[in-house]
Amino acid sequence: MVVEGEKIDQSREWVELNIGPQHPSTHGVLRLKVKLDGETVKDVEPIIGYLHRNAEKLCEMDYYCDSLIYFDRMDYVGAMNMELGYLEAAEKVLGIPPPERAQWIRVIMAELNRIAAHLVWAGAFGLDLGMLTPFFYCFIEREKVLKRFTAVSESRQQTNYMSIGGVYQDIDDQIIYDIEQFTEEFPAKLEDIFNTFVKNDIFISRNKGVGILEPEVAIDYGVTGPMLRASGVEYDVRKAEPYLVYDKLNFDIPVSYKKDNLARFLVRFEEMRQSIRIIKQAIKKIPDGPYFNPKAKKSLMIRLRGEGEAYARTESSKGEFGVYIVADGSVKPYRVHVRSPAMRNLAVLPHLAKDVMIADLFSISGTTDLVFGEVDR
Amino acid sequence: MSVLERLAAFFAILGHYPAYILAYFFETLFMLIFVVVMLIVMIYLFRKYMARVQLRIGPNRVGKAGTLQLIADALKLVGKESILPSRRDDLPYKIAPIVVFLGLIMAFAIIPYGDFYYIGSLTITHSDVSLLLLFAALAIMPVGEVLAGVSSKNKYAVLGALRGVAKDISFEVPMMVSVLALVMMASARTNQPLNLENLISVQSIPYGIPQVIGLGVFFIAMIARAAYSPFDMSESDSELVSGHSIEYSGMRFGMFYMGMFGSIFLGSMIVSLLYLGAYNGPFSGDAGFIYLFIKAMVLVILSFTIWLSVPRIRIDRFVNMGWKYLLPAAIINLIIAGILTLGLSL
Repeated sequence: MVVEGEKIDQSREWVELNIGPQHPSTHGVLRLKVKLDGETVKDVEPIIGYLHRNAEKLCEMDYYCDSLIYFDRMDYVGAMNMELGYLEAAEKVLGIPPPERAQWIRVIMAELNRIAAHLVWAGAFGLDLGMLTPFFYCFIEREKVLKRFTAVSESRQQTNYMSIGGVYQDIDDQIIYDIEQFTEEFPAKLEDIFNTFVKNDIFISRNKGVGILEPEVAIDYGVTGPMLRASGVEYDVRKAEPYLVYDKLNFDIPVSYKKDNLARFLVRFEEMRQSIRIIKQAIKKIPDGPYFNPKAKKSLMIRLRGEGEAYARTESSKGEFGVYIVADGSVKPYRVHVRSPAMRNLAVLPHLAKDVMIADLFSISGTTDLVFGEVDR
Repeated sequence: MSVLERLAAFFAILGHYPAYILAYFFETLFMLIFVVVMLIVMIYLFRKYMARVQLRIGPNRVGKAGTLQLIADALKLVGKESILPSRRDDLPYKIAPIVVFLGLIMAFAIIPYGDFYYIGSLTITHSDVSLLLLFAALAIMPVGEVLAGVSSKNKYAVLGALRGVAKDISFEVPMMVSVLALVMMASARTNQPLNLENLISVQSIPYGIPQVIGLGVFFIAMIARAAYSPFDMSESDSELVSGHSIEYSGMRFGMFYMGMFGSIFLGSMIVSLLYLGAYNGPFSGDAGFIYLFIKAMVLVILSFTIWLSVPRIRIDRFVNMGWKYLLPAAIINLIIAGILTLGLSL
């Protein structure tokens, strides 16, 4: 694939290196066809589809409530955000808005999951750069989030917690206390993890000024999420088009104008701090009341009928996650389409990884935060 | 009386030369056993230490506190099928791990170990140029790695070998220059400064104190030789998927693995020999070997800590560092050593 800019000299012979789909730094099953001139990467062609499971098509064959599990398995490190994205669209089609309490619970869970997803990313990014230790620090903290998820949903990763018209079960005082405990303890641990990275000169030298993504290019490619914000564009769906109760919460959108790997790293860590801020507020403000819409009782779930079409976008940990549902009045959706943020972020990789060293190719692909369940669906 | 002489006396009935040949053979065998046992201990230590650093428990299933885990792993490696790539260059492919391991063993056979109570001196090689021999033996290991990289017929392996060569060239020159400063200081006091035992015996204070810069350069070079983080560009499991050893499996891979840990131990030994006062200690005399061992193990733990806490440096930055910072630093160290030797006759 010829990327924009000067054409690749076809007369020369390049070393063509095939990286992946089985490779330690491709975060799953990414395959990169790389043209090398010595150590320099001249051209990258990402090849995807090794984890394609037909999730969108499968949604057409299942009841609205059943399709949720396919979304759990899209961005498997941020399942709550995926569920939220689907339910935002499905509830519009079905006309069953969640009650107030359910909305607050969803915000808490989505933000907890954002922290968990960013921790996975940070650990894996450390591994990409050859740091073995921070990976474990990140995963120990993530495990604490997953423990709370287990308490509410009886499942660690593929939570399947939110359901149409609310959530699967109410959160009791014990769980709220546990989450509060986490928000008290986590910031100090987060700073520890942060310092293991940024107080390291080699880490800074590996990332500063590497993989510069201009905001115009980012917008052209449809890049969203922390990658876009690290390029200096202050765009976050939670602020731009608030869903749930995000408009009642006080939080900042971290933006960096440095546009490089380090900026993306810093933006993600700042997002975790903001998530803690959101959770702290949400725990205080969470109202009493029903946790699901009575129109979506469990006995009625498979009889829910939708009409019309709806598009919902939410801010997942990777970026703008959009779900488009067309309903034809039956108990199953007519068509479901997913706008995957990680796939758009991956699309810009050939542009970023031009004329860089092989080592930088992996650090750049690390900062795009790829999860292949979502890219390939 | 050294171990060698004791063994020769034991075999004296066979005549002079056969006795010495047998004595050398058995002492090398003992040394080999010591090195292999040390490697197993070190790998166990590394895994436990890494686990503690990473807030894990580490091996704890086989034997008490996982002590037999490494033996189980070694048995597993021996029993594994050795999968050979079909396009390999057969002979270089097969001898490469042996070359790496042999270079390591040769270097261990050259370094002086000091005395060990009533057993006496453990040193095997008694040569007037043992310093040169040591660095000649050290230069063998990279050859094996390049052989492995080229003969595997794998692009990752070739890239790893290329990086390895670039890395070796960049750190070996400053390393040798910093060693030159040692020889210079020693030559003021002895006629045979290239003899390691002589070089060590004539020091008034450990060479690391007047030559702090040299110690730093040499230690960095030893990290780069052993190829662990931050200088594991040639292996780099997250980029080149362990580089030159990518196509190796079974015991052949095990040899590379042991070669790496052996390099860490060897590097620590050499640094403590040359710069940290070797087998001399406060209550010196019989326990020289113990002192050397303790100094080496402290450096080994330091190496592990470095390994576990820093990311990998990029190859171009390392080459830059080697030529633009390490080499000038080593030359400055040489000048300082000259001034100290001539001016202060330290």
